[in-house]
Amino acid sequence: MYSSELIKGTLKTIILKLLTENEKMYGYELTQKVKDMTGGKIQLTEGALYPTLHALENQGILTTEVVNVGNRLRKYYAITPSGREIASEKVNEFTDFIATMITLLDLKPNLG
Amino acid sequence: MIVLSEEQVQYILEDLEQKGIELEELRFSLLDHICCVLEEELNDPANFQDHYTKVLPRFFKRELREIQEETELLMRFKNYYAMKRTMIISAGFTAFTFVTGALFKIMHWPGASVMILLSIVTLCFIFLPILFIFKTKETNSTREKITLGVATVFGIVISLATLFKIMHWPGANIMWLSSLGFLFFVFLPLFFFSGIRKKETKLNTIISSVLILVAIGLLFALTQLRSSKWTDFQENQTDLQLIQLTGLAELHATDTMPVSNELKRKANELIDQITELKKGLILHMNNGEQAEVSDLLRDLGKEINHTNRFFFLESGKPRPRLIELKENVKSLYSMLSTPMQEKATVLNTENRKKYNDSIEQMISWEEDMFSYVTFSNALRKLNQLELAVHFCID
Repeated sequence: MYSSELIKGTLKTIILKLLTENEKMYGYELTQKVKDMTGGKIQLTEGALYPTLHALENQGILTTEVVNVGNRLRKYYAITPSGREIASEKVNEFTDFIATMITLLDLKPNLG
Repeated sequence: MIVLSEEQVQYILEDLEQKGIELEELRFSLLDHICCVLEEELNDPANFQDHYTKVLPRFFKRELREIQEETELLMRFKNYYAMKRTMIISAGFTAFTFVTGALFKIMHWPGASVMILLSIVTLCFIFLPILFIFKTKETNSTREKITLGVATVFGIVISLATLFKIMHWPGANIMWLSSLGFLFFVFLPLFFFSGIRKKETKLNTIISSVLILVAIGLLFALTQLRSSKWTDFQENQTDLQLIQLTGLAELHATDTMPVSNELKRKANELIDQITELKKGLILHMNNGEQAEVSDLLRDLGKEINHTNRFFFLESGKPRPRLIELKENVKSLYSMLSTPMQEKATVLNTENRKKYNDSIEQMISWEEDMFSYVTFSNALRKLNQLELAVHFCID
């Protein structure tokens, strides 16, 4: 598992990317998806996830839909067209960042 | 995997609120998340409490409120702090100046109007607009934003209408009525129908709507209802009798017929009796305490206002003193010459026609004169009676 500082900087990118690939997701689903895809190496902390989700919604990058599930309400998040642009920008920026880091730290990409 | 019960979900929701998650949307998000985790991980429903206390710390480093603070921080915008400070200061200023202004106004101290003016202007043009900006930032729905806008406009208009009313400026009534109409026909439907759409705000919306409706009703009743039709009628009637008296006065000025001693004696007796009744009335108003009548008369202007009703005669319960008065008026009336009798209608004790909701009724003279009459009207009628008697003999 990676340190929370490392994850914090990429949280927005992860959320936006996942939502471009899935029509709509709710909070718990997001954390489980990330956990499954990374084999538990990356675990989104709820303390950081929800503030970010609310902020993204507030900025109009995400839209929400509240659905009644059994005895409680569940909020589904979906990405807006402007959000998709931001998502691709973020992914590109991050790819570029990794390439730069590899050069900076003089790392050999593990091709095996 | 198990499914949490209604009580368990409610328990978590309340616990979250108690632990400082004040933003409703955040609370519901966290609730769903925690429920998902518990339903995934919990094998035995009996372990709910234990497991819940174990799960919760995963959400924070020190305390749960961190999530709330973090969310607020991310949702903030430019000038947030400056605006928040301005809003709090303006709210405090409005409350303080308004309360002080009202106190000054009650005590008739100088400066009251200026303070009330300042407080309402601050409320309308600083506090409410900033509050509107803050509230609209909290929501994304256009419908809710429109509702907030309408609410703000209403708040400003009704505050200004209140100011105009306090200051007796022209246009106050039309402003006041139009703001009540605006509240009833625009804001209330908008608020109600946008609120009941969402499950979590449904109940609160219904309660608030009813409260708003009651408030409109009370405000309307407070400012628009007039004194009863009956009081207006009585006032008009006493004025009418006064006009009739002038006819009697004119006749008296031209009539040269000598007045008999018998008539004079009867009239003076009647005048004494009326004076007694008037004294009695005034003493009665002073809760029956014995006091100098002249002192009471001097205070009459302050003591008696149109809301201070005094029913001299309750319907169907003639007082013996009034019957005595009626008998004396009757015998005086019978001694008058025919032209005098025609003019002195006030002294005619025959039963009278009265229209009540356009139904013709016959009621007795004393009932017509004194039933459901305010204190001041009773006094006026006695004065007119006394004047009529004077015009007959002097």
